[in-house]
Amino acid sequence: MNEYVMPTSQRTLFLGGMVLGIVCLALSWFVGADEFHTRFWTNLLHNTVFFTGISFMALFFICVCITAWAGWYTLFKRIWEALSMFMIIGFVIMVIIGLGNYFGFHHLYHWNDADSILNDKIINHKSKFLNKNVYFIGGLIVMAGWYICAMKLRSLSLAEDRNGDDSYEHHHKARVWAAGFLPFAGFSSAFIIWQWIMSLDAHWYSTMFAWYSGASWFVSMIALTILIIIYMKSRGYYEQITNEHVHDLGKFLFAFSIFWTYLWFSQFMLIWYANVGEETVYFRHRMDNYPVLFYGNLLINFVMPFFVLMRNDTKRKFGSVGFVAAIVLFGHWWDYFLMIKPGALHTAHELAGHGHGGDHGAGAHAGEAVEHAAHFVSGFTLPGLLEIGVFIGFLSGFLYFVYVKLSQAPLVPENDPYLAESIHHHV
Amino acid sequence: MGKTKEVVYGLYSDEQDLLKAVKAAKSGHMEIHDVFSPFPVHGLDPILGLEESRLHIAGFIYGMIGALTAFLGMTWIFTKDWPIIFGGKPYWSVPAFIPITFETMVLFASIGMVVTFYIVCGLGPGVTNETLHDRLTDDKFAIAFNTHDVTVDSAKSFFSQTGASDVNVKVL
Repeated sequence: MNEYVMPTSQRTLFLGGMVLGIVCLALSWFVGADEFHTRFWTNLLHNTVFFTGISFMALFFICVCITAWAGWYTLFKRIWEALSMFMIIGFVIMVIIGLGNYFGFHHLYHWNDADSILNDKIINHKSKFLNKNVYFIGGLIVMAGWYICAMKLRSLSLAEDRNGDDSYEHHHKARVWAAGFLPFAGFSSAFIIWQWIMSLDAHWYSTMFAWYSGASWFVSMIALTILIIIYMKSRGYYEQITNEHVHDLGKFLFAFSIFWTYLWFSQFMLIWYANVGEETVYFRHRMDNYPVLFYGNLLINFVMPFFVLMRNDTKRKFGSVGFVAAIVLFGHWWDYFLMIKPGALHTAHELAGHGHGGDHGAGAHAGEAVEHAAHFVSGFTLPGLLEIGVFIGFLSGFLYFVYVKLSQAPLVPENDPYLAESIHHHV
Repeated sequence: MGKTKEVVYGLYSDEQDLLKAVKAAKSGHMEIHDVFSPFPVHGLDPILGLEESRLHIAGFIYGMIGALTAFLGMTWIFTKDWPIIFGGKPYWSVPAFIPITFETMVLFASIGMVVTFYIVCGLGPGVTNETLHDRLTDDKFAIAFNTHDVTVDSAKSFFSQTGASDVNVKVL
């Protein structure tokens, strides 16, 4: 069973999920009195960033493994290749959001507000980096670089399947591409995270933020890989993948959950200790108005995986590692919710406050609700049903795309020089 | 020290030969006293039927003791014993305690595990253990039978069948 064929039931499930997602996304445009449709645009941005990041991290990790002469992953290399191909969908949406900065589709970014650029000293000062041209053109360059590398590595890998031989010419070429991509990925991912996510809180910045978001992507990518492998094995594919491989992925899930926490905490503690108003506002806002998400984030993404995956055997058993992977995947989606929603809502609040018809704007209502939160507001301070629906929609679309890509190539790269090592992998 | 024991051993020059010999001994119901190797041989533990080490459980307990020691210690010092205001923070500033708690946890766990490992293996300062054969610390592998369990003759025939060299009897 080296060729994956998508069963009809799976296709129906994914298409159903996508329809649900589109309906929920559309509803989030209309629901409530939301002048700038902030709920719609934040949902779109949130999910696009999350899944594009997973895709990027899959590519990044293929490159890491190739450069490190690693062999254990070769059996399921095609899953990461398939994950990395999803990028293109995310890029199309990000281009729409980038164009939105020019044509005023949305008001996600405070730095894009003409009035603020003129009158707000901090935003004015940052406007050489935070402006729509850098966002659009810089983003386009980075996205093109990522996608070209993803395409190249996949096509080399597929060509190796067809006519690879003992000269390992394809592998040598892939090594050059991988080694070249790594430094580019390191700098460009920080650029993308600053532009796409951190600039939502335009006044605020943190030097740890790019690492922290990147770690979140990475954990999600590993979690999704584990879930896909468990699913594929349950359908009878990938017989050669054993719990030795899952053990290693479980170790990555465990280690990078801790790494994420380390970055999260380092960022928090430095800001807490220095106690500078411009920096603490980020956490003040989230602790006061999003307490369930803020503290729950740590429970679900650190305490739970830490204690469950600490033992050797829980990393090897599909039940326990799959359970943790599913929860952590959702947990990091939730982490991105917390990175993206508060900043964008604050922007909507500010803009509605000056010049867009006073306090009639729904952004203002949402903002006020957040600023004076006496109760939780679904969709704004907590993920509402629409947010969950959009998540399911994006996840279905993502998985549909990934499984289509998986079905287009043999599941196991037959001529990869590291295949034998991967088959005999033993920890 | 426990009472002395007499072992009969043979040297193998390849770990694959060693693994085959251990399997043969197991299937022949010869009770192996111990197997010696200069490095961990992959797949040897399951064949010998060794239990999983419990050292990590000890490590977890030491780590917990370390974390609690640091955290409760700082809590007591900074709230009861000698309260000082640092940078306008409350006396009981949990985020500031976390790094020290973490470091103490690592310190206790690592030192505790090393000491436990040394005690379990009978190692320690000033202790010298008799080496079965010098080349076991370099490039040779050995199976040792206790002469109470396996007679020297049957051990010798086993060693000659499985291709061992330097068969010797030694009192440890």
